Amino acid sequence: MFNIESGIPDPNKIYDVIILGGGPTALGAAIYAARFALDLLVIGKTFGGLIASTHIVENYPGITSVSGPELMDMFRDHINSLNIPYITDEITSIEKEENFFVLKSYFMSFKAYTIIIATGSERKKLNVPGEEEFTGRGVSYCATCDGMFFKDKKLAVIGGSDSAAKEALFLSQHASEVYIIYRGDDIRAEPINKKRVNENDKIKIINHINIVEIKGNKSVSSVIFDNGNEFDVDGVFIEVGSIPQSQIAIDIGVKANKKKEIIINRKSETNIPGIYAAGDVADAPFKQAITGVSEGVIAAYSVFDYLKLIKKK
Amino acid sequence: MSSDDQYKNVIKQEMAKLKKPVKLKVFTSKGIAQDGRLIQACMDCGEFMNLLRIYEENSNGMLTIEELSIDENPKFAQEYDIQRVPTILFIDNEGREIIRYLAAPRGQEIQPFVQALFAFAGAPNYYQATIKQNIGRINPSTIKVMITNTCPYCPQMVSIANLFAIAGNGKIRTVIVDISANLDIGQYYDAAGVPYTIVNDQKAISGLVGPDVVLRSLIGGNIRVQY
Repeated sequence: MFNIESGIPDPNKIYDVIILGGGPTALGAAIYAARFALDLLVIGKTFGGLIASTHIVENYPGITSVSGPELMDMFRDHINSLNIPYITDEITSIEKEENFFVLKSYFMSFKAYTIIIATGSERKKLNVPGEEEFTGRGVSYCATCDGMFFKDKKLAVIGGSDSAAKEALFLSQHASEVYIIYRGDDIRAEPINKKRVNENDKIKIINHINIVEIKGNKSVSSVIFDNGNEFDVDGVFIEVGSIPQSQIAIDIGVKANKKKEIIINRKSETNIPGIYAAGDVADAPFKQAITGVSEGVIAAYSVFDYLKLIKKK
Repeated sequence: MSSDDQYKNVIKQEMAKLKKPVKLKVFTSKGIAQDGRLIQACMDCGEFMNLLRIYEENSNGMLTIEELSIDENPKFAQEYDIQRVPTILFIDNEGREIIRYLAAPRGQEIQPFVQALFAFAGAPNYYQATIKQNIGRINPSTIKVMITNTCPYCPQMVSIANLFAIAGNGKIRTVIVDISANLDIGQYYDAAGVPYTIVNDQKAISGLVGPDVVLRSLIGGNIRVQY
């Protein structure tokens, strides 16, 4: 996608490492791989990853406060400054051949001695009637993308995580009222964001309730609770967690836990030599951009070490 | 450094790499002021042209932007169905419209715009080979991508659509619409989220999807791949 000068990847070349993913974990790994002078390629579906849609990031050392899109710009400048080739695509299969891997997408086939899987996670759906029908017409998964369409409207944010609290805070800048609808007791936001939510007059929390249907005509007009009550809203922002994008790795035999998170060790190694994983797709209990970057960087170092071994052979 | 200065620097850095000539047509509207001077008659056109001149001035003479007033060029405006200004057109050597911008390429949208300029000038296009393999199965198509300039995932959708159009040899046309500046278009398509992509005025794709999804919606079936 970027680095116009880098041209089209060569399908016959065997890259030292192909990094799958476009978020901070993948890009952190790419920056270190470039610094280790590895021949690398980054293939990502979503440049910036999920954090690109976060309205404010204020937990990264050296950066007091930055929006997700601004952070994405900084990522882009950084990888461009190192001439790291990045393409927008999605790998659909990985196969092992001799001492390298063959990765295929609908657009090209690639070869690499090693792979770092940093494909992150994708937002979970609520899986209720009306969700799919009204996606893009009142149902959204990205407040920074779609918040502006709901000026002075009444909105629901579904979920009780820190991300849900941040979405509600961002949406309160546009909407007249924002209701956090959560099935649990108390929202699980970081204390700093919980305090902001509590102090925000536009945000109210409704707990112990599930949404069972989203209704509307041309666009969303209400949600139905599991107690049978109908609640009028103009938009529904869904923030109920995420699913690791690990299937491509599982298909080639990489071990994952019950949540489908790839099991890695402290070197970001998986059970398959030459395949590494890092970030939200891996099995760390605490998932943050900063911890993902750390695992990505460790993966790049492990690749560097591994390549020294296999290239000696 | 202000964010405006930062984006100007990005344009300067990227445009300096353009090595092949490329021409764009931009439709604006001009009127005559009381003192006889020719002035921009549309509210956004002046600022829009100033932005595009930054691209042009930093391209080492490789980018030429031809500004055409719909008032002075009504026939041409009619030929290309210019219904609002400002409008940017990428027109190929055979006179076919490939890309239409009803959006200002500023902020996050600089990168996909620059990328389209380079690919339009002949730089390698990652999607070209697969589009070529499947072109026989694609009917003449228009991909409309609804965006806003605050949407973090829109530039990628714009990039995919633009590169598909450039690879499409006149069979695929892309229209990029900033629906915060063209509210009526967003309302017409019931778009309450971005990116929102309409293929041939029928298939709506909500959110950012991979290039394979866009290609499948153009083909109406599976993608044929030969590596």
